[in-house]
Amino acid sequence: MLQTAPSADTTIALFDTSAAQALTVQSESPSERAMLAENKLPVVLAVVLIVWAALMLLALRTDRRLARIERALDAHDSSSR
Amino acid sequence: MTSDLALPRYGPVYRAFGVVVAVWMAVVFCFGILGPVSNLPILEHTARNLYFHVPMWFVLYAGAIAGAWHSARLLATGRAINDVRAESAWTISMAAGLAAIITGVVWSRYTWYQGTGIWWSPEPRPNMVAVQLLIGGAYFVLRGSVDEPRRRARLAAVYALFATATMPFLTYVLPRRMASLHPGAEGNPAFSQMDIAPQMRWIFYAASAGFLMLAWWMYTQRVRSRVAEIRAERLGESAPAPVAVVS
Repeated sequence: MLQTAPSADTTIALFDTSAAQALTVQSESPSERAMLAENKLPVVLAVVLIVWAALMLLALRTDRRLARIERALDAHDSSSR
Repeated sequence: MTSDLALPRYGPVYRAFGVVVAVWMAVVFCFGILGPVSNLPILEHTARNLYFHVPMWFVLYAGAIAGAWHSARLLATGRAINDVRAESAWTISMAAGLAAIITGVVWSRYTWYQGTGIWWSPEPRPNMVAVQLLIGGAYFVLRGSVDEPRRRARLAAVYALFATATMPFLTYVLPRRMASLHPGAEGNPAFSQMDIAPQMRWIFYAASAGFLMLAWWMYTQRVRSRVAEIRAERLGESAPAPVAVVS
């Protein structure tokens, strides 16, 4: 199958505006069609969701750590009594 | 566990609650950023800030009310857990208040005050809330200045009750008596049919509920970690002094 989008040398695109044009004029992939709609707001959403997922994973891990500490303290209290 | 620090058991239900909060807020972000928005002049797409700026005020209020409740409980019972809970609730409340005032400054700078260079304005609500945040911040100064735990707990509790008592007047009554950019300055309820698109209302309710749940989760984490810290400190006190090693 013939590749329609040749792998371009992006270093040239920095200096040669027509080469940059050639890079951007490729047909949109499905993910691009989704992400570039509505003023590219979906990109903002993607970034926000990734940050949010990271923060929530940290919070859940903190929960687990706290539970471990509480269990250790409980065990200590019941053994010293 | 010592009885004055008794906590409920935070088991699987609690952990599931955390996951629910995370997913709930993720859905809110989806609707908040991509969902329908009322096309008001000046505000335009920033009307979406409604979902993120305003719930901070609800967290500020909820935290202050919870702090006042536990302060009153502390004065009534003297149990150390109520001091921990009051301080944690107050911390969450003040953090949300700070976030609210900063987001409000940024929001207004690039909408109403676009092209004027004004960051801080004579707008009554942020000014009154700044006063309230100073009053609330002094709570931590007061706590930091007393070393003896029981004394600190009682002083902070009395102060928190007074600080909460000023809140409705400074942040609710007074701003409505003056001209303001905020809705409701005409004495009407906070938003009317004119202000927001009907679909936005439901996203806003979901965001408010989500942020309140998130605040409760963060609050319990603070309570649990502080209680664990106190228990660990008490272990150190009750343990026999380490034997001096002479080499």
